Amino acid sequence: MDKCQFCGKPATVHMTQIVNNKTTVVRMCNECATKHGLFSKEELPFAMLSSLGEALFAGIRQNLSTQGLICSKCGCTPMSFKETGRLGCPNCYRDLKLLIDGIVDSSQKGAFHKGKKPKSQTTVEVEKILEKEGLSDSPANGNTSRRRRKNSPRSKLEELGENLSNAIKNERYEEAAKLRDEIRKLKKSEGEES
Amino acid sequence: MKDFVKKLFQASDLQHEIMPAVISSRIRLARNLSDSKFVKYACRGDLRAVADRCEKALLSYPSLKNSDVINMSDLQEYERMALVERHLCSQEFIVDTNEARLLLADDRLISVMINEEDHLRAQVFQSDLNFRGMFDKINGIDDHLSKNLDIAFDAKYGFLTSCPTNVGTGMRASVMLHLPALVITKQMNNLILAVQKLGFVVRGLFGEGSEAQGNLFQISNQQTLGLSEVDILSRLTQIIKSIIDYEMNAREIVKKERMVWLCDFMGRALGILRGCYLMTSEDAINGISLMMLASDLGYLPNALRNDLAQILMKIQSSHIQVLANKLLSDSERDIKRAEIVRDFFATVPNLRFH
Repeated sequence: MDKCQFCGKPATVHMTQIVNNKTTVVRMCNECATKHGLFSKEELPFAMLSSLGEALFAGIRQNLSTQGLICSKCGCTPMSFKETGRLGCPNCYRDLKLLIDGIVDSSQKGAFHKGKKPKSQTTVEVEKILEKEGLSDSPANGNTSRRRRKNSPRSKLEELGENLSNAIKNERYEEAAKLRDEIRKLKKSEGEES
Repeated sequence: MKDFVKKLFQASDLQHEIMPAVISSRIRLARNLSDSKFVKYACRGDLRAVADRCEKALLSYPSLKNSDVINMSDLQEYERMALVERHLCSQEFIVDTNEARLLLADDRLISVMINEEDHLRAQVFQSDLNFRGMFDKINGIDDHLSKNLDIAFDAKYGFLTSCPTNVGTGMRASVMLHLPALVITKQMNNLILAVQKLGFVVRGLFGEGSEAQGNLFQISNQQTLGLSEVDILSRLTQIIKSIIDYEMNAREIVKKERMVWLCDFMGRALGILRGCYLMTSEDAINGISLMMLASDLGYLPNALRNDLAQILMKIQSSHIQVLANKLLSDSERDIKRAEIVRDFFATVPNLRFH
């Protein structure tokens, strides 16, 4: 008969724990099991840990934090990621965010994307900015006709708007910021005039 | 020999301006379609659909319309390996060839792997350090793709990739350097550590996990998130320029302090290259590397540098088999390799040390 790992008495309780694919078997007598809180519901998962070592504890903690995560589109889980080293689909970045943030934190120095955006994305953004600045050509904007009535400052505005749109499309953001400020200034002065 | 392989061998022998220590540079972008599973998790049908869409989008880009698209599963193993030896695709790409397609632009300086670990991995090569020109080229392709395909992108994480270590720009830029003097003066370990501290990696001839042969090293960025493409490229350029300076200094030191040893080392190497009847690829690469150094230092005509870079390509195992058009055993390859090397170096003049 197996002996209790703590006191050497005959073991009556056998506990198998699987953490990070590593199986650990703990054998103990009733007394020791109670002493380590195995039979106390509240402390069940953690009471054992001091004797199982800090490494194991860290493993459990990490697992618990990402436990239960599953990608709703492809079914990828933290476990399947650990096995293959690859994610299942773009949606994993949303549904397994906790796992991804951990990996990004340890493998990358920055946390936010600072590079280029897909062209389609930029175009959408340009339209939004133009709309916000009242420079959109869409009839819904309502100021197209007004813009064409006045000659000099309006055409200047139009020109600036076009430059702004080009600057953003070509990712010249510093120039875009300057143009945006210039547009605001011009619009403000125009407002004061009228 | 298949047509595309023939074309490959004719067109991609890079004729370029000689820049000491720089062999080639490369920029690679990883992209995925937003509505499809990543390659490792996708079924064959999904992969075929992805490949068809990507291929169509790529071929509609004006400068890619005359490209060849190769089904990797149609090739012999040694033919696939020859593409790896040319750095036109990765080693991982030839392991699982399920719906894996390779697009090769007609100038062979742009290649796109479809269904590697990401749906699209586009790369552009050049033989100098002109990252700006290269980035413009690949950026044009990328813009075209994002207009025609729904590319997976997130405002925080940037371009989404199957492995989170590539997320952000999805860009890997690398430069192949020839650093014999830093190896001779035993400076490489220090250099590797210093480069690592700056967030860049030094690898051997064939990237991840490969050994450094022929004093050839690949330096590339590790970080892909939190820096813009331009930041990454300008940092890498700065690092490469200072490594080249270190190499040039080390060459001067070796010439000054160990000239007799250097003459002996190169002289013996040329003797072996001219007289061999059996030659392993490692020995050939190391020997040719020394002759490249001799040419850089003016002990051999400078004009030989391009020919040496070409012979370095031709002596690789799969290239020899592609030329022979059949699978060869190790010793058969060593015999063929020795033949190529012997014939070439018979025409090379003697070393002239001033």
